[in-house]
Amino acid sequence: MKDHLHAVSGQVIAIGVALLMGAIIILMVGESPVRVFMTLLRGAFGDQEKIAGTLLQTTPILICGVAACIGLRGGMFNVGIEGQLFLGGFAAAWVGFAMPLPAGIHTLAALALAVVAGAAWVAIPAYFRARYNTNEVVSTILSNYVAVLLTSYFTIFLFKRPGGWSETPPILATSYLPEIFAFSRLNWGLVIGLVLAVGVALVFRYTRWGYGVTMVGSAPKFAEYGGVNVKRQGFLVLLLSGAVGGLAGGVETLGVHHRFMEGFAPGFGFDGLIAALLANGSPVATIFTALFFGALRNGSLLLEVDTSASREIITVIQALIILSVSAQVLVRKRGDSQAGERRWKF
Amino acid sequence: MEILDKLINVALIAATLRTTAPILLVALGGSFTTKAGIFNIGLEGQMLVGAFFAVLGSIWTGSALAGVACGVAAALVFALVFAVLVVSFKANEVVVGLALNILAGGMTISLMKAIFGTRGSIVGHGIVGLPKVQLPGARDLLGSWAPLISGFTPLVYAAFIAVPLLVVCYNRTRLGLYIRVVGEKPEAAEALGISITRVRYIASLLCGLLAGLAGAHLSLGYITMFTENMSSGRGFMAVAILIFSNGDPLKVLAGCLLFGFADAFSLRLQTFGYPSYLVLTVPYVVALIALFALSYRARPRIIAETLESMRKLLSVDRNTEPGGKNPQ
Repeated sequence: MKDHLHAVSGQVIAIGVALLMGAIIILMVGESPVRVFMTLLRGAFGDQEKIAGTLLQTTPILICGVAACIGLRGGMFNVGIEGQLFLGGFAAAWVGFAMPLPAGIHTLAALALAVVAGAAWVAIPAYFRARYNTNEVVSTILSNYVAVLLTSYFTIFLFKRPGGWSETPPILATSYLPEIFAFSRLNWGLVIGLVLAVGVALVFRYTRWGYGVTMVGSAPKFAEYGGVNVKRQGFLVLLLSGAVGGLAGGVETLGVHHRFMEGFAPGFGFDGLIAALLANGSPVATIFTALFFGALRNGSLLLEVDTSASREIITVIQALIILSVSAQVLVRKRGDSQAGERRWKF
Repeated sequence: MEILDKLINVALIAATLRTTAPILLVALGGSFTTKAGIFNIGLEGQMLVGAFFAVLGSIWTGSALAGVACGVAAALVFALVFAVLVVSFKANEVVVGLALNILAGGMTISLMKAIFGTRGSIVGHGIVGLPKVQLPGARDLLGSWAPLISGFTPLVYAAFIAVPLLVVCYNRTRLGLYIRVVGEKPEAAEALGISITRVRYIASLLCGLLAGLAGAHLSLGYITMFTENMSSGRGFMAVAILIFSNGDPLKVLAGCLLFGFADAFSLRLQTFGYPSYLVLTVPYVVALIALFALSYRARPRIIAETLESMRKLLSVDRNTEPGGKNPQ
């Protein structure tokens, strides 16, 4: 418990330092930090619609964050969640507009194909990582660019809505994820994300498979001597991470946009990865970090309207948070061992 | 055949050299960190801030050279932050690199909005691009092949000249030797009294220098403008090259020429009416295939090394056993 408290307080201090540095950068771009932060706060939690909007932004970040957590637990950096999200989003849209099915089943089928698409997209990098130790960071990053261009190609050259501009036809209403409130587009995707986060946490905590994954991530040699097939485990971990990344795209399509378009959901994959890193790979903690980043994102919409700062200032703040968290080694006790740590731990 | 003639000609080779230069510069920069044993995924961000501040400097001073200096200075700051966090604080290099890339993306867009009030790109505003260098006598010497060596911006020449310089640096200078020792056998370096920290800092800063030049070349040489995220994955391709070349300058050159060619070829295909979205994936797909294919090729070597080290381990055990713990 004390360890937990220590870890959380460290994270909070790091966020404070990052906000301070962010304030300096905001001063540099000629805005008042207080005004920017107040606008962010108002934009994120100002009234019930704003709060619902924040939760709406939180959903894909949370699901992508869980995807990243699965990878991180198994010692894998899945930086390709962005690409998996795009393919999952497109796959779900395709089922949504091209295959008339009864309500309910339609949604499930679309989500299933999104999951398959995400997993398939990471399968090649995962195979080479597991079998030949090809660096997964680089291969998944590069595959992001291909995924974005490929889905754009599908959208614009193969499935363009007649008369529309770079978007697919709208999906059928039978495939929608139902909305929770009347006043917002907030939908059951958030529940999917929450259940997924808790479920994955439980799997890691209570199942043999989850324990094996954590062991492979933190001490691969130990896991191997303990009888874990490290290569197969690594492959499965990346595949699962990609599947969840694809699911995030499916939820975004079926719940929010109801079609696939160019520039769909930009940056959610990276936000998810950052949220997972900030949560130190814990899916439950990712719920809170995703909420934090969702609030930043939703607040930034108002930022663009009410101040002269651009909404990308929140990307700067996010990056600063990660940098200052990673610098925490400074405040860590000297006796703490470096050797047995997971390779992604700060 | 005619189509092939149109696709592959002197202009394409010259275009290849032009597209190779930025990725070559940044990959050579990464060669320093790779050799020093640092996995530097932050090349992309260093290149991006280099490109942005080069444009800014060029506008402020009205001089392309000062622009390049500004770009390099910005990239050096990023490289310094990277080094402080990774070398001194021993933070995770992938996390720091990715965060710096994200920071670079957000910061350049925010500053662009703050200074120019626009999103997307900076065009005009009095950006002074780098001049094209016409080598005297090139036309007499090579005739219609002259575009292969003449008419490039200075940083293209710098990129290709840097290759032999790096070879000399690694093989003939003390610094190069130190960098290699620190990367390959840090324990040996420590035993020799070489400061690992200092060498890694120097390598990181040299990397920032070249990444900054690469960025400046993108925005002042390759084209004269800045657009959001204009490095568009070149830094990551450079990292892919570094992984399979292990940072050896000549192999880096070979890899960069391959990607430069893929890049130039895809630009060329676009003008022939192929769907641009598919054609634009070509460089990334080439990078991925090269990465996978070469890691597949490296497989037997890894096994051989493992076998060798196991044999060594076993023989050491056999040697020490009788004399040590098990006296009979």
